[in-house]
Amino acid sequence: MSNYQKHPKANVKVRRFPKAFVWAHAINGLAFFALYITALPMYTDFFNWLYPVLGGPAMARLLHRIFAVVFIMPTFILLIFSPKFFFQWMKELITWKKRDLQFFSEFVKELFGFKFKHIKQTFFNAGEKINSVIQIFCAILVIASGFTMWFPEFFPRALVQWGYFLHNVGFGLGIAVIVGHVYLSVVHKHSRPGYSGVVNGKVPAWWAKGHYGDWYDEEVKKGNFPDLDDPKRKKGA
Amino acid sequence: MTNHWNDLQHTDCALIIGANPAENHPISFRWLTKAKENGGKIVSVDPRYTRTSAQADVYAALRSGTDIPFIGGMINYALENNLIHKEYVAAYTNGSFIVKEGYDFNDGLFSGYDETKRAYDKTKWAIETTEDGKPVKDETLAHPRSVFQLMKKHYSRYDVNTVTAVTGTAKEDYLKVCKTFCETGKVGKAGTIMYAMGTTQHTVGSQNVRIYAILQLLLGNIGLPGGGINAMRGESNVQGSTDFGLLFDNLTGYLGAPKATVPEHATLKGYLEKETPKTGYWSNKPKFVVSLLKAWYGANATAENEFGYQFLPKGNKNYSHINLFNAMYKGELDGTFLFGTNPVVGGPNAGKEKEALGNLKWMVAVDLWETETSSFWQKEAGSDPAKINTEVFLLPASASFEKEGSVSNSSRWMQYRWKAIDSRGEARPDLDIIHELALKLKKLYANSPKSADKPFLALDWNYGTGEEPDIDLVAKEINGYDLKTGNLIASFGALLDDGTTSSGNWIYSGFYPEEGKNKSKNRDNKDTGGEHYLNWSYAWPMNRRILYNRAAADPSGKPWSQEKAVIWWDGAEKKWVGNDVPDFKAVTAPTEPGGTGAFMMNKDGVALLFAPTLNDGPFPEHYEPFESPVPNAFSNTQLNPAAVVIEGDFNKKGDKKNFPIVATTYRVSEHWQSGSMTRNQEWLSELAGHMFVEMSEELAKEKGIKNKDKIIVSSARGEITAYAMVTKRFKPYSVSGKKVHQIGMPWHFGYKGFATGDTANRLTPHIGDANTTIPEFKAFLCNVRRAD
Amino acid sequence: MAKEYVKYVDVTKCDGCRACMVACKNWNDLPAEPTEFLGSVQSHAKTTADTWNVLQYIEHENGKGDLDYLFRHSSCFHCSDAACEKVCPENAISYTKYGTVVIDQDKCVGCGYCVQNCPFEVISLKTYKDKNGKEYRKSHKCTMCTDRIEEGLQPACVTTCHTGAMEFGDKDAMIQKAEQRVKEIKDRYPNAMVYNPQGVGGTHTVYVLAEKPSVYGLPENPKVPTSAVLWKDYAQPIGKAMIGATTMAVVGAFVANKFFSKKAGNDAEDGGGSHE
Repeated sequence: MSNYQKHPKANVKVRRFPKAFVWAHAINGLAFFALYITALPMYTDFFNWLYPVLGGPAMARLLHRIFAVVFIMPTFILLIFSPKFFFQWMKELITWKKRDLQFFSEFVKELFGFKFKHIKQTFFNAGEKINSVIQIFCAILVIASGFTMWFPEFFPRALVQWGYFLHNVGFGLGIAVIVGHVYLSVVHKHSRPGYSGVVNGKVPAWWAKGHYGDWYDEEVKKGNFPDLDDPKRKKGA
Repeated sequence: MTNHWNDLQHTDCALIIGANPAENHPISFRWLTKAKENGGKIVSVDPRYTRTSAQADVYAALRSGTDIPFIGGMINYALENNLIHKEYVAAYTNGSFIVKEGYDFNDGLFSGYDETKRAYDKTKWAIETTEDGKPVKDETLAHPRSVFQLMKKHYSRYDVNTVTAVTGTAKEDYLKVCKTFCETGKVGKAGTIMYAMGTTQHTVGSQNVRIYAILQLLLGNIGLPGGGINAMRGESNVQGSTDFGLLFDNLTGYLGAPKATVPEHATLKGYLEKETPKTGYWSNKPKFVVSLLKAWYGANATAENEFGYQFLPKGNKNYSHINLFNAMYKGELDGTFLFGTNPVVGGPNAGKEKEALGNLKWMVAVDLWETETSSFWQKEAGSDPAKINTEVFLLPASASFEKEGSVSNSSRWMQYRWKAIDSRGEARPDLDIIHELALKLKKLYANSPKSADKPFLALDWNYGTGEEPDIDLVAKEINGYDLKTGNLIASFGALLDDGTTSSGNWIYSGFYPEEGKNKSKNRDNKDTGGEHYLNWSYAWPMNRRILYNRAAADPSGKPWSQEKAVIWWDGAEKKWVGNDVPDFKAVTAPTEPGGTGAFMMNKDGVALLFAPTLNDGPFPEHYEPFESPVPNAFSNTQLNPAAVVIEGDFNKKGDKKNFPIVATTYRVSEHWQSGSMTRNQEWLSELAGHMFVEMSEELAKEKGIKNKDKIIVSSARGEITAYAMVTKRFKPYSVSGKKVHQIGMPWHFGYKGFATGDTANRLTPHIGDANTTIPEFKAFLCNVRRAD
Repeated sequence: MAKEYVKYVDVTKCDGCRACMVACKNWNDLPAEPTEFLGSVQSHAKTTADTWNVLQYIEHENGKGDLDYLFRHSSCFHCSDAACEKVCPENAISYTKYGTVVIDQDKCVGCGYCVQNCPFEVISLKTYKDKNGKEYRKSHKCTMCTDRIEEGLQPACVTTCHTGAMEFGDKDAMIQKAEQRVKEIKDRYPNAMVYNPQGVGGTHTVYVLAEKPSVYGLPENPKVPTSAVLWKDYAQPIGKAMIGATTMAVVGAFVANKFFSKKAGNDAEDGGGSHE
């Protein structure tokens, strides 16, 4: 158990994500997974056995289209119910500082269980930002190319042809990054505690402070979060 | 056809005029493509650049209705440039014959014209004869009254400038045609002229064909492989239908029908004396007539009753299509049988023909589908059923694949066909329908004392006892029997005029010479030499594949050239040999009397450059169509003076002021005739599903019409709506310096079937050729405008 | 290697009779479709799912200002390097031993990737309704009558062609024939050429064209679309590799974590270090 977990306020939870995000993320994740499953047998013969499971190629394609619509919805959910968060997110994505770069070297150590130290991060750490950027990029690719594939009659042939390629690129890249994302959130021992953030929007305060120090401190100043640093420890630190 | 389809591959030049075989007789292009591979040329002459033109080496445009100037100019060109085969002309044509004083030609009229009758006295066009009736000849062809010189004089008026000013052809194109085709006047070369309805469906239709024949004779192209004049028939069995007397003025086998208007025809003796030439193969006519009467009336035909000659109806009118419908229009006919015919789409001035049908008391239509004609009384046809009293019976007929029998193609090949599938529903073959009708009527008339019913009762109708006739008995009757032995007769050479032989159609006699040997069933596709395939089916007469093939050899019996050899005289064997059946007496040596008579059907054994037999002149002369946008540049005689004009409401005439555009009709590959067979076929309707009118970009611009627009075409007789097909393949003509537009349209459409559209023949006139009364479908006046 | 065949089409011998179109419908039992008037005698703008070959009619004014009326029997080219085969996600499209390219109707799911990627635009989708009224689609094109070839017959269109504009035979012989024919017709058609585009590895329908390909609406240098090559030869394999690689990385991370955790005897998140 970490020091913080042994801390008296170890059970304190803070709100990291708004409800709208929780929903949006859940829908998005679900849709992504569904799209992934329904696309797999189209992508490679290795997964052809999935067709019978999915109710045949035609049904797989129908489901794929249904989930494609679902996949697009979260953006609008966020925009409508929590635009503030949305824009904060976007702002973070375009804000890059030195610590973001430092993060990566430490992250690799953390990932593989070596000794590492926390580089103070804002709301999103650099890894999450990269994840977001790539996912957004991939989402735009697959959504845009998806349209040309779904409704080829409304687009120039060349665009449709490139659409197939781009859909594939977006999918390949996206899925690669998602594998990491999912691993970190549900398996890796250090990031796992944050998982509750996408379930109910709240995360352990100690974990938040550890991973997103700058953000946590700011929220403390604003009086939103409890100050976890009790004076006793502060000294020794 | 003088030659046959396969033989087209031997041509050095095919002049295709009045026809569009690439579209309408596509199989000809199988052979023309081979001809091209062998270095042969194709010349296409047509008002419009067609798919045939696309395959041609030379294309020349001509305004519809100007074939005679076009070919007349070629005759003049050949004569002027000495490109003719003079030896051939001297030996095998009547070019050397001297024409009697009395023949004259002046301002478009030949001597002997009677304006009130619109007819000529043909005796004014006689040939000088010696005391024993032989023609007087000058084989140097120099005599000023020789046919050759008169012809030369006649066509000297057809100089290139005058001709192209009339036809609207570009001069350089015209000269290219002349040069290319007249090359075939050389020995060793053969040119063919291929034509179809674009030639014949004119007021000068017969003379159009005549002038082709003259050109071909001058170039020595008749009788040779790759030569001839070849009529491409409009349907698979139209050759058979004319062979079997379906023309209104023929008995079976091109024996003229007796007429009440000819006093000599009152008796068989008189008829035969009047109609039988003293010389030539037609001198055998009495044998053919009597054998025909024996076939029809059997034991009821005896020497005592003139072999039943009096059973034959002797008409006093012209019973052509136009005149029949005129009579119907005037209420003179009670009823009609229509076997596979659809005049509401296919007849000229079809709107009037539809009206005429309403004057009938009854109509029996025998067809595969309900056609526009058998449904003429319906609301969809624009009729008021309540006002029409015609009782219509529609008998479903079998298609060709559903019955057995023969068809005769353009090559004169009688080809037997077997039934492939059973008929559907109640459909029956025409033959069965006629058979049952005949038997029932015979029963009904059995005790009739009326003399009018006698011919019917006298008919020898022995085709078996079943409901279906025994078609083999029909075939045998056509071939004929030796009535003394009861055996099948070997050939028409064995027919006699004493009532001891019979033959239902003398020209086919020999196709079934003995039991079990129906040669129309022959299917040996081994080449027997010259690609004539003599053991494939049977070509009348006597399985000859190239008519007049004696002319392929010189007078001494040697082939003019080895390249174009067909038959030749074998002095050792003392007979004509070669790769075709000689169209000649096989044992008559060249030196014997008649040994050079290559055209043995004609009384002097020669071909007729000068034909005193036609109704409208011994030489073809240009007259403008019934409706024309220009005056006749060759004379002041505007219209064929012998063409019969029906005046009044039945045949309104359009003037060039209101209808300045020349129009013609044609067919497309996918549809057959009035379309009742093909517009009911989905795959064909899909390919050619819309009524269209082709016009030049220039005309479209003048009229503010864009491609695919709906337009209205009007003539003095009616209006139709169609799609505009604006094409580069039609160009306006410059006729005597004046711009003349022409349009063209398919005539297949009607309101029944899958592919529907307005009927082009609503626009065409009720006027016919002076000899055959074939309607002038191919040149009339109209106007066009946008439909909206 | 079984014998490869080629359908040889000499457009200069074609007289536009369209018997090939009817023969195709007849053999393949294809229904008629309603057709619009197109302003020429051409019946269909291009091939469709129910019309596997279409005769083109082209009025072309050549360089000399003369009018040429050109015809072309147009249908599937049966490319050696077929884009349709490449992009089909269901492996429904395959090459036969004769060199023809065929669609397995049982495997086809109607996704239309082949339709979009064919450089000659000869493939089309057809919508069907099953017995429950549910719509589904299948992709169709000329099969070169592979079912006839299997029985030793020639394609129906070739058999019916009466002018010899079409022939069917050994690939090399047909290509040779085409080259010879072009020489023969150069006088009449100076732009005549053999159309056997190498961009798609050569085709199993080889044309003698009277004019440049563009006159017939054909691509001058057709090839498998670059996008399809990148997609199928690069993006897809790389994508598969990336999924594999990240998965391996995750597995590696998991194992490594377990390993180091045991060694360290604790699972302290901060690696024993401090934030400060």
